[in-house]
Amino acid sequence: MPLTARNIGSLVIDSLCDRAQEANIAVVGLYCDSLSQQEQTTTNIIEALLKQLVGRAGIPDHLRAAFEKGKEEFGGRGPRLADLMGMLKTVIASLPQVFICLDALDECLPKRFPEILVSLRDILRESPGTRLFLTGRSHACVKEDVQRYFSRAVVIPISPNPNDIRNYVEMRLDRDSKPEAMSNDLRVDIVRVILEKISNV
Amino acid sequence: MCWLSPLEPSNRHQGARTERFDGIRNWLLETSEFREWRYSGGGADKAVLFCSGNPGVGKT
Repeated sequence: MPLTARNIGSLVIDSLCDRAQEANIAVVGLYCDSLSQQEQTTTNIIEALLKQLVGRAGIPDHLRAAFEKGKEEFGGRGPRLADLMGMLKTVIASLPQVFICLDALDECLPKRFPEILVSLRDILRESPGTRLFLTGRSHACVKEDVQRYFSRAVVIPISPNPNDIRNYVEMRLDRDSKPEAMSNDLRVDIVRVILEKISNV
Repeated sequence: MCWLSPLEPSNRHQGARTERFDGIRNWLLETSEFREWRYSGGGADKAVLFCSGNPGVGKT
């Protein structure tokens, strides 16, 4: 499906990162993936965000000590969620402003939504300047869950826009490996038929 | 730091960026909702932005 190439999450992350240095912001994020559901625990998500944040500034001694301690216990049990949350909140509070982007939240296991969202809400309560960007399917229960935990969340519906689709199809046709095999009439037909099909979805 | 999270977002981001058709979704960055979220300073009111769409609409 051509529209999968239009990536809202990566667009937002790029637009933030492009100006991160001059704007004095830190940008961290994750792309959730239904193929990695078992790994996408709240603990791993919080860990990944922490890793991105401390990666840029070197690892503070107290974090290193906490992880070393976790490695020793039971032959390598990592820090617990509560420990990680404490560390993440401390790191975020020490920075001017942090943007957290979680893409395709609906690809995590639904039973994990509440814990993930509660953790994110805790971070925002501790550091109210933090900005949270989420994407997810409109038909999944993720939207209701997001609104349950963030009653003031602003929702932007993303729907296929005929102009975007036309531009995308034209771009793909321009990149065709055998352009000589396509007459102008065929090209016009391709664009027209795809737009008709999409408008019927 | 390899004992940290197994989730590796940078690989995925490179893939998503390569697939993206630049310019096609820039309207989002121009919406008042996005701009208020992005530039509202420290206010907690506009802290969360949620983009929802159907499968394959290109939220990533």
